[in-house]
Amino acid sequence: MSSSGPAIETRGITRAFDSRKGFLFREATRTEALRGIDLSVEQGSIFGLLGPNGAGKTTLTKILSTLLLPTSGAAYVLGHDVVREADWLRPRMGLVLGGERGLYNRVSGRENLRYFADLYGIPLGERESRIREVLGRVDLDGASDRRVEEYSRGMKQKLHLARGILHRPEILFLDEPTIGLDPKSARETRKLVRSLVADGVTIFLTTHYMFEAEELCPKLAILSKGRIVARDTVDRLRHLVGGDRTIEAEAYGFDDREVDSLHRLPGVSKIVTEEFGPVSRLTLRVRTDETGPEAVRAVLANHAELSVRERRTSLEDVYLDLVEEEAR
Amino acid sequence: MMATALGRVSRSRSTYASLRLAVLQFIADPQWLIPSMIAPVVFALVSFELFRSAGPYFLTYAILGAGMMSMWGQTLYGSGWATGQDREFGTLEPTIQAPTPYLYVVLGRVLWNVLSGLIGGAIVYVVIVAFAGGPPALPDPVGFALLFVFVMVTLASVGVVFAAFYVYTRYAGFIQNIGEFAFYIGTGCMFPVVLLPFYTNPVSLIFPPTWALDALRYLSIPGYRGFAWGFWGDLLGAVATTAVYLGIAGAVFTRVEHHVLEEGNLSEY
Ligand SMILES: Nc1ncnc2c1ncn2[C@@H]1O[C@H](COP(=O)(O)OP(=O)(O)O)[C@@H](O)[C@H]1O
Ligand SMILES: [Mg+2]
Repeated sequence: MSSSGPAIETRGITRAFDSRKGFLFREATRTEALRGIDLSVEQGSIFGLLGPNGAGKTTLTKILSTLLLPTSGAAYVLGHDVVREADWLRPRMGLVLGGERGLYNRVSGRENLRYFADLYGIPLGERESRIREVLGRVDLDGASDRRVEEYSRGMKQKLHLARGILHRPEILFLDEPTIGLDPKSARETRKLVRSLVADGVTIFLTTHYMFEAEELCPKLAILSKGRIVARDTVDRLRHLVGGDRTIEAEAYGFDDREVDSLHRLPGVSKIVTEEFGPVSRLTLRVRTDETGPEAVRAVLANHAELSVRERRTSLEDVYLDLVEEEAR
Repeated sequence: MMATALGRVSRSRSTYASLRLAVLQFIADPQWLIPSMIAPVVFALVSFELFRSAGPYFLTYAILGAGMMSMWGQTLYGSGWATGQDREFGTLEPTIQAPTPYLYVVLGRVLWNVLSGLIGGAIVYVVIVAFAGGPPALPDPVGFALLFVFVMVTLASVGVVFAAFYVYTRYAGFIQNIGEFAFYIGTGCMFPVVLLPFYTNPVSLIFPPTWALDALRYLSIPGYRGFAWGFWGDLLGAVATTAVYLGIAGAVFTRVEHHVLEEGNLSEY
């Protein structure tokens, strides 16, 4: 094992992408994927990075796993600089990028693992037994000699995971490991992730599902538009909204005047409008007991088909709040 | 979990692993060898028909040209293409992430491409010999065999440099397609370079196989008149240019890896 310090530490990581469009008159655009990331992740746990599409999760994962250079800032994994000490780090880290790509489809799952076992310098005498071990672990033993092109999405993802842990990394990066998986495969993947932590592996996991972060990660950070907008334990994030009430109102369309009136009610901090076909839903976040469902009903009394109810504020709400505030 | 084997990964093992995977992928889908064989065989048969009367060694010439054409296709094209495929499959990222310099992975593939080029060359040879009704005269078979292997090394050196471009950008295929035909002619695959307009010579001379091929012709075609510096000059030039290519490949690969990490275009295809 390396030092007993944090497994990951970043200081002011930024990353911009320059892309050009057009052929003759090239138009340069700059995307700031990360705008100053400061993180500290302790060893031996699962750290969750939660954020919507395009937030910068993959970008950060790649920087930490030495596949991308930051534009500025510094990052240390296991106490070593990800840019200057990539050679030291690479054998000690595993990376699983979500999705179907990243495998040699024309050969078997076992041959994919053999190839990477060789590239990682796993002792030849141990190679086959290790491959058997990880195949068993991801529950692919039955399919290991079939060509990867015959694998389902879920099986490919399992093979990705098997490759990620084959060389027994100290730290494992999982970028949206359950994306596109059916619920059963996703559940199995999460189970496997938990079992790895039990072995002492540090896991850095990204996801855009709040429930997944909630289920797996005792600590998490929420990323939005390249910035960390919240960083805490799941419990404390829940406390963040502990006193808040959430009131939902549904009817066939609300007008702006009504929404304005609702905003003027005491304690209303936020109103989200959603459309479900002809039905509109307003979700109100309320910071005081003064405003209850009755007050809301009174404002919207004109609607014949109105339903108003109060529900528990969920972590999902917190997440959406944080992400949307940033987006505005 | 304690990570074991964190020292240097054996380069020969990486190269072998890459060669092995290339063979497995080929076995899974071997028919791509055929299209790369059609053009050389047609070319050889046509030129053989046209120049049948040019002398007893014309068969050798036709075989050399056609064989080289297919080998070039396989070696160079294959090397770059494999890296292009790594981009397409999304395997470039995990491969770069593994603690093996990508150069050794490329080397393994280039080796396979050289071998498969040899298979292609052998098929071309068999077809032409069957057509001509007998094997060509060969003054120095041992020297020929040795030199032939060397020609493949020179091809491989160009292959590695090309592969570097594929790591660099997904547009390498476009560049290569344009360059391919120029290379066929420029290296004297098809016609002896000395027959080409003089201004193409300097261009041809930057490719190591040009030199090696000319040497091969000196060796196997009595009375052959190639470059003025003759057989030994050719050999020297081939060794020197190959060394330069391998040097460039080494240097480019270290740069390329840094470049792609900076650009973040490893997963583009
Ligand atoms: N190679 C690239 N070139 C240009 N823009 C990129 C590149 N990679 C990512 N981006 C942009 O950076 C932002 C963050 O992307 P990403 O890290 O993939 O987000 P996430 O993984 O959270 O969905 C997006 O706006 C994306 O379009
Ligand atoms: Mg992503």
